[in-house]
Amino acid sequence: MHRRTLLAAAGLLAAPSILRAQAAASIGFYYPVAVGGPIPAIIDGYCQQFRAETGIEVKPVYAGNYSETLTKAQTAIRAGQGPSLAVLLAAEMHSLQDADVLASLDQLGPVDRGWIEGFYPAFLANSGAAGKLWSVPFQRSTAIMYYNKQAFAEAGLDPDRFPRTWAELAEAAAALTKRDGAGRVTRWGVKLASDVGNAQWTFGALANQAGHRLMNEAGTETYFRDPKAVEAMEFWHGLAARHGATPAGSTAWSTLSPDFLEGNAAIVQHTTGNLANVRSKAGFPFGVAGLPGKAEPRTVVGGGNLYFFKHASAAEREASLRFARFLTEPARAADWSIRTGYIATRPEAYDTPALRDYVAQVPAAGVAKDFLPVATGELSTFENQRVYKLLGDNIQAALTGAKTPAQAMADTQSEADRILKPFRA
Amino acid sequence: MRRIEIAGAWLLGALWVLPLAYAAWAAVHPPEYATRFALLAPWTAANFAQAWEAAPFPRYFLNTFLLVTLILVAQFLLCTPAAYAFARMRFRGRDTLFALVLLQLMIMPDVLLVANYRSLARIGLVDTILGIALPYLGSAFGIFLLRQAFRQVPQELDDAARLEGSGLLARIWRVYVPLAWPTYVAYGLVSVSYHWNNFLWPLVITNSVSTRPLTVGLAVFASTDQGIDWSIITAATLMTSAPLLVAFLIFQRQFVQSFMRAGIR
Repeated sequence: MHRRTLLAAAGLLAAPSILRAQAAASIGFYYPVAVGGPIPAIIDGYCQQFRAETGIEVKPVYAGNYSETLTKAQTAIRAGQGPSLAVLLAAEMHSLQDADVLASLDQLGPVDRGWIEGFYPAFLANSGAAGKLWSVPFQRSTAIMYYNKQAFAEAGLDPDRFPRTWAELAEAAAALTKRDGAGRVTRWGVKLASDVGNAQWTFGALANQAGHRLMNEAGTETYFRDPKAVEAMEFWHGLAARHGATPAGSTAWSTLSPDFLEGNAAIVQHTTGNLANVRSKAGFPFGVAGLPGKAEPRTVVGGGNLYFFKHASAAEREASLRFARFLTEPARAADWSIRTGYIATRPEAYDTPALRDYVAQVPAAGVAKDFLPVATGELSTFENQRVYKLLGDNIQAALTGAKTPAQAMADTQSEADRILKPFRA
Repeated sequence: MRRIEIAGAWLLGALWVLPLAYAAWAAVHPPEYATRFALLAPWTAANFAQAWEAAPFPRYFLNTFLLVTLILVAQFLLCTPAAYAFARMRFRGRDTLFALVLLQLMIMPDVLLVANYRSLARIGLVDTILGIALPYLGSAFGIFLLRQAFRQVPQELDDAARLEGSGLLARIWRVYVPLAWPTYVAYGLVSVSYHWNNFLWPLVITNSVSTRPLTVGLAVFASTDQGIDWSIITAATLMTSAPLLVAFLIFQRQFVQSFMRAGIR
C-alpha cells in the first residue's frame, strides 16, 4: 500500500519531466540591443513569464545594434552554436535566405493561418518569398514626422494641421527655415536622413509617396530608373536646392533627434520608436504626423522581425514558434508597444483596454498605426547591404549636386543590375 | 625653421586634442549645451551619473582589466622564449619558421572570425574571458619586436653570463629582458590599448554581462532609434578611456622614450 502510493506519486512527479523531455528545455534568442537601458529588462521579463507558462527557458543574448547582431548570429550559426531565433531587420530576409540559414514558418510546426492573418499586412510585406513566410513581425515601426508646434506658430502655420502633400510640405518647410543676418541657417525647415544605411529608408518612403515600389517581391529586381523614382529624388533634391529648406549635404540619422530637440530643425522624419525619447526630452510642444505624399500621405515600415534558424532541432524549432506566438499575443503586443513606442503588430492589440487607454492618453501613439494602410515595405533585395550603400552614395551625390537626380537613379540602377544579376534565374 | 616646427607641433597637438576637448565640454554640461558654446553654461556631473547607471560598468571595467592583463602576461611569457629562439638559437628551418610567424601579421583578425569561433566552440570556451583572449596570445608582432631587440643585445654579455654559470632561462631573465625593457614597455602599451579598444571579436564571442568588456558595454549608447545623446555618450567615453588616458599622462616620458628606443612610432 505504502509502496504503491509512493510509486504513484513518483509517477506523477515524473510526468511533467517526461513531457518536457520531448520539448526543448532551452532555446537561444539573440536580441539587437546592448545590455543596459530599459529594453533588456522588458525582454528578460517576457522570457521569465514564458518559462513560468511553458517550462521552456529562453536565453536572451543582447547583441548590440542590428548589424552587429546579424554578424554575431551568422558567425555563431556557421560554428554550429547559433541561436534558435533572433530579432533582425525585416529587410534582411533575402540576404539571410541567400546565406541559407533560415527555416520558413511551415518548417517549425503547424502554423495557424488565423494567427498570420491577424498581423497588419504592411508588417508582413518583408516576410514573404518563394510562396513561404520567413519571419514574424515583432518590433515594428513606421517613418513619421515630428514637428515643433512652437515653430509652426512662429512661422504663421497652423500647429494642428501638418502638410499632407509635397507642395504643402515644401512651402511649410521654406517658411519654417530661419536665417540670421549673415544668411546662415539657424533652423532648418525639415531634415531627412541621407547617410548610408538610412538614406534608403527615407527614399523608400518618398518613392511610395510618388506611387512607386522600388523592388519586386523576390528581391531580384530594382526599379530606380522609373520616372516616379526620379521624381521622388527630384522632390528631395528640390527641398534643398529650390526651397533651401533642408541642408544640401549629407544629414546623419543620429543627428536628427538632437537637432529637433535643440530646435535646430522644425520637422524631422524619424521612427515611431523615438516617441518615448522625444516625449521625455522636448522642451516645447511638439506634434506627430504621418508623412505627406505627392498627392496624399504615404509612408514606409521599418524595424525588426523574428527569424528562425534551420540548424535548430525539431524540438527547438517548435519551442521557438511557441515563443513567437507568446510574444505576439494581443496583451503582450500592447504592453510592448506602450513600454517601447513600437507599433503593436496586430490590430487586435489596439482593442485591449491597456493600449486603448494609452492611446486615449497619448494620441501621438495612435498616429503611426493610422498610417499603416498607406505604408509600403522596406527596400529589401539580395545583397541588401551592398544595394543600400550604392543607393545611399547616389542619393548623397544627387543632394550635393554632383549628379542630377536622373543620373543618380540611372547609375544606381545599372550598378544594382550588376549586383543582382547572379540572383536572377 | 625651428619656429615653424614648434608652430607645426602646436597645430598638430591642437588638432589631436580637439575631439577630446569637445568630449570634456559636452560631458560636464547639460545636454542643451552639447552643441552650443557658452562660457557661462552651468556645470553638471549628471551625465556621468546617468552613463554609469545605464549599464553594469563596474563589471565591464573588471572584465576589461582581466582581459588586458591576461593577454599582456601571456604575450610576454610566450613571445620572450620564441623571440630568443629566433634571435640567438641556430636550428634547421629557423628562417622559414620566422617567415611563417611574420605571415600572421598580414592576416586581418576579422577574417578569422568564423574559424576562431568554431575552434573555441569545440573546446567549450565561447563566452569566457579566456576565449576572448586566446586568439591573441601568440602575437607575431610581439615576437618580431622582441627578436629585433634581443639581436641588439651584445653577444659578449650572453657569453659572460654563460661563463658565470647561468642557464638559458637565467640568461634570458637577467640579460635579455632587462636590456629589452623599453621594447616591453612600448609593446605593452600597444597591446593594452589595442585590446582595451577591441570591439568586434569580443562582441561576437561573448553572450553575457560577466564576460563582456567595456567597448561592448559602451554600445548601449549607440541606440539608433533614439538618436545620439552627445552629453551622455561623451561622458561614457571619457569614463571608459580614463584609465588609459591617465596612465599615458603619468608615464608619458617613459612611453615616449620607449617608443624612441624600440623604434615603433
